[in-house]
Amino acid sequence: MSYALIVSEVRRGVFEERNLDSIGLGALLGKETVLLAPDGAYEINEKLVDTVVKVKSAEDVYLNPMNMGKILEQVFGARGKPDYILFTQSSSGTEAAAYTAGLYGFPVITDVSAYDKEAGVFLKSYYSDKVFGQFKASGGPAVLTVRSGSFREFAGEKAAAAKAETMEGAPAVDSRTFVEYVEEEKSDIDITKAEFLLSIGRGIGNQDEVASYEELAGVLRAVLSGSRPVIDKLWLPKARQVGTSGKTVKPKVYLAMGISGAFQHIAGMKDSDCIIAVNKDAEAPIFQYAHYGIIGDIHKVRDKLKEIAKA
Amino acid sequence: MNILVFTKRVAATQEEELRITGEGQAVDLSKVPFKVNDWDNYSVEEAVRIVEKQGGAVTAISIGDAESDEVLRRAIAMGAKDGFLIDSGQVLHDPFARSELIRSFIDKEKVPFDIIFTGVQSEDDQFGAVGGILGAIMGLPYSSMVVGIDSVEKDHVVVRRELEGGLQERVKIATPCVLSIQSGINEPRYVSIMGIRKASKVERKVFKAADYAAGTAKIEVVKWVYPAKKGGATMLAGELADVCGQLLGILKEKGVCQ
Ligand SMILES: Cc1cc2nc3c(=O)[nH]c(=O)nc-3n(C[C@H](O)[C@H](O)[C@H](O)COP(=O)(O)OP(=O)(O)OC[C@H]3O[C@@H](n4cnc5c(N)ncnc54)[C@H](O)[C@@H]3O)c2cc1C
Ligand SMILES: Nc1ncnc2c1ncn2[C@@H]1O[C@H](COP(=O)(O)O)[C@@H](O)[C@H]1O
Repeated sequence: MSYALIVSEVRRGVFEERNLDSIGLGALLGKETVLLAPDGAYEINEKLVDTVVKVKSAEDVYLNPMNMGKILEQVFGARGKPDYILFTQSSSGTEAAAYTAGLYGFPVITDVSAYDKEAGVFLKSYYSDKVFGQFKASGGPAVLTVRSGSFREFAGEKAAAAKAETMEGAPAVDSRTFVEYVEEEKSDIDITKAEFLLSIGRGIGNQDEVASYEELAGVLRAVLSGSRPVIDKLWLPKARQVGTSGKTVKPKVYLAMGISGAFQHIAGMKDSDCIIAVNKDAEAPIFQYAHYGIIGDIHKVRDKLKEIAKA
Repeated sequence: MNILVFTKRVAATQEEELRITGEGQAVDLSKVPFKVNDWDNYSVEEAVRIVEKQGGAVTAISIGDAESDEVLRRAIAMGAKDGFLIDSGQVLHDPFARSELIRSFIDKEKVPFDIIFTGVQSEDDQFGAVGGILGAIMGLPYSSMVVGIDSVEKDHVVVRRELEGGLQERVKIATPCVLSIQSGINEPRYVSIMGIRKASKVERKVFKAADYAAGTAKIEVVKWVYPAKKGGATMLAGELADVCGQLLGILKEKGVCQ
């Protein structure tokens, strides 16, 4: 039977919004869509897919890539192998996608952000969105991870609710087990509440520059935030990180200095009312998302801004 | 504890204009500088720290052309004992082909290990897939997005995995296993040019990829394309003072700055 299997992600009882992008791509592929999900009391819009298969596994068992391998074996046994297996482009989605591909010898394309139906090719980012490869897969169901925000507009409601099925869970492996969740440490700064964020990236060059951007933030009455490399290098605390693995922010103004605009960063700030980007590279992907752009050296812009604002 | 760490030499494209050649056949990297994959730098550091504490040895492995010797020397300068280069001539885009090559190499050369480290992703191709495929085809347990290794015991490790929005999960994994290391897990030590030069004295071994089974690629790039333009920003142009004046004007208009 011809179908697209959508391995949805449910974490702490929430059906993650990025599943909508997998559902959207499933619809674009034009196959019957079968959504796999762990048993639980969360809400799904049952009109978005053809069939929902709920697996009687605890959520943490389902999210473990090695158990997913066993669960998929049962799915294949019951309905044959699909044409596509869609995972989310996320921490657990990518992990399970790669592991599944390895287990079954399936081709895998990650971070898919567009599909050209006529040519049958999937677009995958290279070099942080500076170019894209049009990829073709052969020999078995293609395992794909779907970039969040890329396909949700194609997830349309069908006339009828999905067929509901349940499936016994597979016995959990003991070679990898979930222990507990670890919450982020509390911080007195909440960048999600700021109206104006001045966000700095790797482009500032080195730690010694941070203080002068802090000063600029002070002059402009902005709160200072940063991209992941700035936090990884401990130039700013973790609570100041914008992006998928940091905070999602929506300020009135987001002023990005020396940030290239990788997808994981964009996902955390693209809904800001006004995005202004300063970068010396005219091709930096962030200019595609910004409302205003300045091509130039951020240090010079910083110094001039301070000078004028103080005057 | 013997740790294998994979380290890749990648194009540093962040500040470069990339040109696609011909009808989309290739991306021209001839004028682009190269560097160690950021994620692998964190992973080498983590491996070296474990071995410094608990004994054992770190072996750095790279697949690429002869130039990749540079990232092996770098790993040795950081504390790896050996460097193996699997000379592959051409770039293997398919992560599956790379993982099969690695498995075949480890099997055939009987490279001993307790844990295999990869980075979460290559900066250039961003597949984030080699570690997971490798774990599965070697029959080993796997975790990606490792932002902390809490304990390393005889038969298992306890690690923290990064999820979204600042959340983490702690998981226990039996060894031998494959772990993909996320950036920010540590502060990689500084490596001087002198250090890298000194590392040249340590013998690195070169193996020919053709001597190992790599399988056929399951995916292929049909064409390279530039990103679709999304509308884009209104560019503020002019003299620096003028541009900054315009910027301040926008801030005022948006009501965030007097
Ligand atoms: C699982 C995962 C989760 C991630 N989560 C996040 C996240 O939450 N947040 C996040 O930000 N990233 C995240 N990343 C990392 C992301 O992929 C990018 O690596 C990162 O966003 C790049 O940060 P950057 O733009 O500061 O640095 P770079 O990409 O290195 O860009 C630096 C920019 O500065 C410019 N520049 C340099 N010098 C100057 C100058 N003097 N004047 C003007 N411009 C200059 C350059 O042209 C370049 O565009 C994640 C990655 C993974 C794999
Ligand atoms: N050519 C290579 N040489 C060495 N290590 C590699 C190579 N390709 C991938 N890896 C390892 O696998 C990780 C993930 O790569 P990728 O799946 O390409 O994103 C990298 O961080 C490296 O540790």
